[in-house]
Amino acid sequence: MLAYRGGDAGAFETLYKRHRGGLYRFVLRAIKQRSSAEELFQEVWIRVIEARNRYAPQARFTTWLYTIAHNLLVDHWRRKGLSLVQLDEEPAVAAPDNPARQAEARETLARLVHAIEALPAAQREAFLLHEEGGLSVAEIAAVTGAGEEAAKSRLRYAMAKLKAAVDEN
Amino acid sequence: MTDDPKISQRYRELPREEPPRHVDEAILAAARRAVVSRPAPLVVPSGRRRWYFPLAAAAIIVLAVAVTIHVERQELDAEVFEAVTSPKAPPEEKVAQPERPAEPASPRVFAPDPKPQRQVEPPAPQAEQSRQLRAQRDAVPAGPRVAPAPSAAPPPPAAVEDQMLDKSQQTPAAVPQAKPEAAKREALMREEARARASREADAVSGAAGARLSSAYASPEQWLQGIADLRRQGRHDEADKALAEFRRTYPDYKISEAMLEKVEKK
Repeated sequence: MLAYRGGDAGAFETLYKRHRGGLYRFVLRAIKQRSSAEELFQEVWIRVIEARNRYAPQARFTTWLYTIAHNLLVDHWRRKGLSLVQLDEEPAVAAPDNPARQAEARETLARLVHAIEALPAAQREAFLLHEEGGLSVAEIAAVTGAGEEAAKSRLRYAMAKLKAAVDEN
Repeated sequence: MTDDPKISQRYRELPREEPPRHVDEAILAAARRAVVSRPAPLVVPSGRRRWYFPLAAAAIIVLAVAVTIHVERQELDAEVFEAVTSPKAPPEEKVAQPERPAEPASPRVFAPDPKPQRQVEPPAPQAEQSRQLRAQRDAVPAGPRVAPAPSAAPPPPAAVEDQMLDKSQQTPAAVPQAKPEAAKREALMREEARARASREADAVSGAAGARLSSAYASPEQWLQGIADLRRQGRHDEADKALAEFRRTYPDYKISEAMLEKVEKK
């Protein structure tokens, strides 16, 4: 980011390639519609570009990036009201040889998707920040503005609910 | 139990959606444009130093506007004074001319003269009248309006100049003045007053815009300013300022209490 701030457009491209997938899925699974997710994803990066001169490497770039995304998500939620995730596509699963196992795996993933959708927004966000952003509890706390204990508790509850959903059989 | 490898593994089996190509292209193009169009400074100002340039720019603008207005007022005063005194001046100059043949004719009636001569000095009633006119003009914006419209904006400067002109025409000295000359002068004064009013309005609105973006030393003060705008019912300005704030500080977390104050309900 410092290189980009200094005028190196190639540095931005490297950063973008590293974070585009995770951030996109974070946004997509946090809000309802794909079109809104694309807009919001784009908006996050535009904010990054506009605020490059203010970027100070006090924390990881990832934390800064997801903080911007979190703020935009909060704005989005405030405008629309809290909403659950609705993925447009059925989960595509690598097909095991055994059709029975294939069906079971598909069912497990479907349950996971529904369980993620059913999480309270704060717990879902904590889980997605952890999985997609690779953030630690302390970083999740920094991004969401919650205390570390609150972040830890959200993540723990989210994990417990998802585990229960996946193990349910 | 904040980390569960089994859940993480299952989660990674979900489809790995990626942003569409057109979104990628738009973002990368925006990033390149930003770098090409406005190179970032090598040394980024931080802390208080980042406000030095905007504050200096705002101060220069305010100073320039103030000086312009001051100079224009002085010029206008001189013109009004000439308008009041010119009908009497020619006969007096005729009397005075034989006494100082070596001197070139001065365009200013009140120019300093080495030999004090009663003839070239403005007569006392006229000087008094000029002072009254100036006092009247200065008092008009704050004082009661002469001809108030029902829904009224403050009287435009052109109206004030009209009043001044009317007064000067009512004086006994001005009665014999030639009509076409007076009309020409009147038109000139109105035109100048309108131009000045327009420039003053521009200066005020420009200063307000600059204030929104650069007058606050910290994000908290900026937010307080937005909250004040909201409280005053200036929602459009508050919306614009909030959007500008979000762009400037995209990672700043606004507290719930402050959000209540700055967001539109």
